[in-house]
Amino acid sequence: MSEVRLRGVTAGYGREAVLDHVDLTVREGTTTAVLGGSGSGKTTLLRVISGFLRPGSGTVEVGGRTVAGPGVWVPPERRGVAYVRQEGALFPHLSVAGNIAFGLPWPRRRHRDRVLELLELVGLTADLADRRPDQLSGGQQQRVALARALAPRPELVLLDEPFSSLDAGLRVATREATARALRASGATALLVTHDQGEALSFADEVAILTLGRFRQVDRPTVVYREPVDAEVAEFLGDAVLLAGTAADGLVDCRLGTLPVGGPVPSGEVQVMVRPEQITLTETGTGQLDATVRAVTYFGHDAVVELDLANDAAHHPLRARVIGLHPPTPGDRVGVSVVGSVRAFPRGRTAAGTDLPVAEAS
Amino acid sequence: MSASSRPRGVALAAALVAALTVLPLLVILPSAVSVGAESAAAYLLRPRVGQLLAHTGMLVVVTVPASIIIGVLAAWLVERTALPWAGLWRTLLLAPLAVPAFVSAYAWVTVAPWLTGFTGAALVTTLSYYPFVFLPAAAMLRTLDPGDEEAARSLGLSPTAAVVRTVLPRLRPALSGGALLVTLHLLAEFGVLQMMRFQTLTTAIMQQYAVGFSDAAGSLLASVLLTLCLLALVLELLARGRRRVSKIGLGAQRRAVPVALGPWTAPALFFLAVLVVLALVVPLGTVGRWLARADIAGDLASGLVQVTLSTLGLALLGALAATAAALPGAWLLNRHRSGLTLLLERVTFLGSALPGVVVGLALVTLAVTWARPVYQTVALVIMAYAILFVPRAMVSLRAGLAASPPELSEASRSLGQGGTATLVRVVLPLMAPSVLTGFVLVALAVGTELTATLLLAPTGVDTLALAFWRAASELDYAGAAPYAAMMIALSVPLTLLLRRQILEER
Amino acid sequence: MSKNRHPLIALLLALPLALSACAGGGNSGSQDAYAPQPQTLQIYSSQHVNVTKALAEGFTAKTGIKTQVRDGEDASMGHMIVKEGDASPADVFLTENSPAMTVVERAGRLAPVQPATLAQAREGLAPSSGLWTPIAARSTVLVYNKDKISEADLPKSMMDLADPKWAGKWGAAPGGADFQAIVAGMLAERGEQQTRSWLEALTKNAKVYNNNIATMKAVNAGEVPVGIMYHYYWYRDQAGDKQGSANTALHFFGGGDPGAFVSLSAGGVLASSDMPEQAQQFLAYVTGPEGQRVMVDSGSMEYAIGKGVPSDPALPPLDSLQAPAVDASRLNSDDVISLMTDVGIL
Repeated sequence: MSEVRLRGVTAGYGREAVLDHVDLTVREGTTTAVLGGSGSGKTTLLRVISGFLRPGSGTVEVGGRTVAGPGVWVPPERRGVAYVRQEGALFPHLSVAGNIAFGLPWPRRRHRDRVLELLELVGLTADLADRRPDQLSGGQQQRVALARALAPRPELVLLDEPFSSLDAGLRVATREATARALRASGATALLVTHDQGEALSFADEVAILTLGRFRQVDRPTVVYREPVDAEVAEFLGDAVLLAGTAADGLVDCRLGTLPVGGPVPSGEVQVMVRPEQITLTETGTGQLDATVRAVTYFGHDAVVELDLANDAAHHPLRARVIGLHPPTPGDRVGVSVVGSVRAFPRGRTAAGTDLPVAEAS
Repeated sequence: MSASSRPRGVALAAALVAALTVLPLLVILPSAVSVGAESAAAYLLRPRVGQLLAHTGMLVVVTVPASIIIGVLAAWLVERTALPWAGLWRTLLLAPLAVPAFVSAYAWVTVAPWLTGFTGAALVTTLSYYPFVFLPAAAMLRTLDPGDEEAARSLGLSPTAAVVRTVLPRLRPALSGGALLVTLHLLAEFGVLQMMRFQTLTTAIMQQYAVGFSDAAGSLLASVLLTLCLLALVLELLARGRRRVSKIGLGAQRRAVPVALGPWTAPALFFLAVLVVLALVVPLGTVGRWLARADIAGDLASGLVQVTLSTLGLALLGALAATAAALPGAWLLNRHRSGLTLLLERVTFLGSALPGVVVGLALVTLAVTWARPVYQTVALVIMAYAILFVPRAMVSLRAGLAASPPELSEASRSLGQGGTATLVRVVLPLMAPSVLTGFVLVALAVGTELTATLLLAPTGVDTLALAFWRAASELDYAGAAPYAAMMIALSVPLTLLLRRQILEER
Repeated sequence: MSKNRHPLIALLLALPLALSACAGGGNSGSQDAYAPQPQTLQIYSSQHVNVTKALAEGFTAKTGIKTQVRDGEDASMGHMIVKEGDASPADVFLTENSPAMTVVERAGRLAPVQPATLAQAREGLAPSSGLWTPIAARSTVLVYNKDKISEADLPKSMMDLADPKWAGKWGAAPGGADFQAIVAGMLAERGEQQTRSWLEALTKNAKVYNNNIATMKAVNAGEVPVGIMYHYYWYRDQAGDKQGSANTALHFFGGGDPGAFVSLSAGGVLASSDMPEQAQQFLAYVTGPEGQRVMVDSGSMEYAIGKGVPSDPALPPLDSLQAPAVDASRLNSDDVISLMTDVGIL
């Protein structure tokens, strides 16, 4: 019963509404990642759910209980909503064990078993229990903060960019440990992040938040492969956007005639192709020919900038290839598109802003 | 701030405290106004009042900067340089807090009878009050991340320039708070100045009461003092600046690498040694000399123990009251800074610039008229202590609240702890060092308070300070010595607590 | 943050409670020993603590009437009684100098002293108002440093000190209540013109000290050759270790000179007293032979004012001082204050 449900929630500071009639449901035992840029309302959302900010309108339910709504206000400490912050915010005056046991009812605070169990759950060793927070690394601090949040078995765990202050290697390890711990504890969780990789890899569902509204809420594969519009597509990862014309489930563009997935509009469209859908082959063997203009090498993969042979305007096109044998600039290659592409009606985006006239990639 | 942490209760408490501290003004100002503009002008616009103002001003102008320079320099030497025996120096430099200023003045008067008037007054007040600057400056220097200083060095600044341009600005709140305390003490100082035969507004007010004149003249002079106090409060706000200087991020801060003093070691040691001799060895030595001639058995028989216990009781209760009274205002100002909360905090400083006799007589009037049952009870004298000494606690608490950012309170509430539990389990423990500092500073002040205690304490209650003052006023130094020694002995553990706090503050 | 801080705080919090309990029970075993007790005579006193204590104990031993003493200082206690008004717990007020008493008198807070009590004091001392009685006396003296000035060179009258040849050579404590009484005597004796010019000379010529003791010590140390003060500080120091007076001697002006002014310590009964009879009894005891002897024996070196009670043998007899005759009731007159304010002493 620890489902979270927001209906028509409006909230903000002073007159400025940061959240604008937001609806969101997080199913019991699942993790939803809210992905948004700065100023999108991510943190406001968490403050509303955790009870540090009263919504202007709408209702918030946690575990079937209305915690905020018309005439209802449950204070933060009685919501069973744990909150893990960007900088763990561990209590500097308490040991690791003291921090973890902080939210436990009083008789159980002195028992070490739950503390040790939680340390293990977040992948830390028992010998850290008596350390002080400032004797821990950043990643360890975040794990302790998570353990502290999980200790009272909350209905819901809120994670506010908990990995963003960690360096790259530590971030991945901590993220994985956190995901494992959340799964193992069966907790319902809401993660807020601006990192699409984090959102996609961590959560059962991803909710894209811009300007105080959810644009799309769905499984990671769906939002990545079938974004509702170009903006969402770009938000979730590198996207190649091309002008095209759609008809009968197919779209014509510079990359040729390609099958469209998802809803199929007709007429002038914007075509979205993920760079990894574009594969390179021997010259002459692909659907098109192209010249390699530049290569950015990342090790595990590489981004290749191409000049299509049939494009007089020389719009660059990006392809993402595995890093084993990347091409070198000047190489001539064959280009093919794997799988279906997305087509969005031209003219106006869902957010109401005009699309750029020029093609973007 | 968020809508949920509604500070109504706290605001109410802060408003009550502010109202409490302006109570004396309710008596003084009407009394001053009753004189009439013409007579008031005739009384105030006299060379004599001009002279008193000039004396008060001279003392502030010399003692405050001298306390700042000595306090900061000593704190920097102890906390940021490779000074030999830094730990010992830290203790010795704080120790003058344990010696009541008027005891120190008495000692100086016997050691150097020629040292009177302005020179003596400035010397003794500086030596007694520099710890108000040293204490916060040392605590701050100890916790200050050396990162800024290093960045400044790498941008081409000399070590001195780096300190001046990065360290000093961050010391501003500590320094301005300390300077304010020193100023308020100077405005209200009586014992030292009486001893040094240096007349200021406060000693003149005492004189007004002594000659049995109507207290309207005293109220007029007290109003002048209040004006000076207002001026000091505004100046301190300007000097403090609005920038946030505390660092909230977690993670261990690096300790600074101590600056090697090299050829400056000897001069530095000499400076500190002279300071300690003047501020500590002279008074302690003198008290010790008197003590050798004291009839301690006789004093024990005449209730030295009883007097010590009631002093201790009053000091601790007074400290508790003043610290508790300072909490709401300090908290509000930290979490909800606005014109109103700033006003609530500033107002609490007004009472402290008034001489004890003015506050005491005002409370007599109020209690007899409105609160007869509390008259001549411990409750009333504790209230007077709260009015007089709440700034000592306020200045410390404001520093401490920075160590307890709102994020941690929210974390606690998310973990199921209500407002009270959060206060007890998170906010107060984090503030403990500064709460303790405030508590100790107030307790030290109460232990040496004279006039308000005399007027308001329950009949029959005697304190060490009163007993010392009585004996010393009659030149009975041997008789005064045991009381002085006991005051110092009681203050030593409190001073050690302060030292511990500097050491542990992070 | 160390773990053992918390017990420390707990200790700090617990101490006051423990102490207040113990302080409350310390004196008589009752829970509220310091609250004014019914059927206990409340004595407010700015007299020397040990003198008052000896008097109160002697009175209780004689009459069985319980007493409770509240100690204070002249500077504030008179004002305090006035502020307390009808609600004052005080039954009796004893002062060190009479101006503190006249503050209370002028506020109309005193009940007339029984004529029999007034009659116990020597002639010519009691105030004409009859609202309070002297309980002790102290004489103005000139203290001089024997190494700096010979007896022959001393001024004949205190008024002579206004002469420019004494500039910088004498000390006084004009801010104190003691001195104000001296000026009142001078005003009554010599008139406003002379008093004013003498005070003006004082602000120019004299070294100003905060109290009698400071003046005496300055003379002893040779800072100034002579100083104006009350006699008993000198005799007390002489009876003790002479630290503050070894190099000095006293000169009594005599001859009704303003410098021979005798100031009174006063006792009065509050009009609001709820034990007026016992309060009058106390004053009668204090001014009577027994009370006066208790005071003399306390070593305060003040003059006894009771008829037939000898003061300390070290003192010249009170009758030999040839003090000017001044009505003590008038000593706190506004004239004196405004004159001193005008001249800039206050």
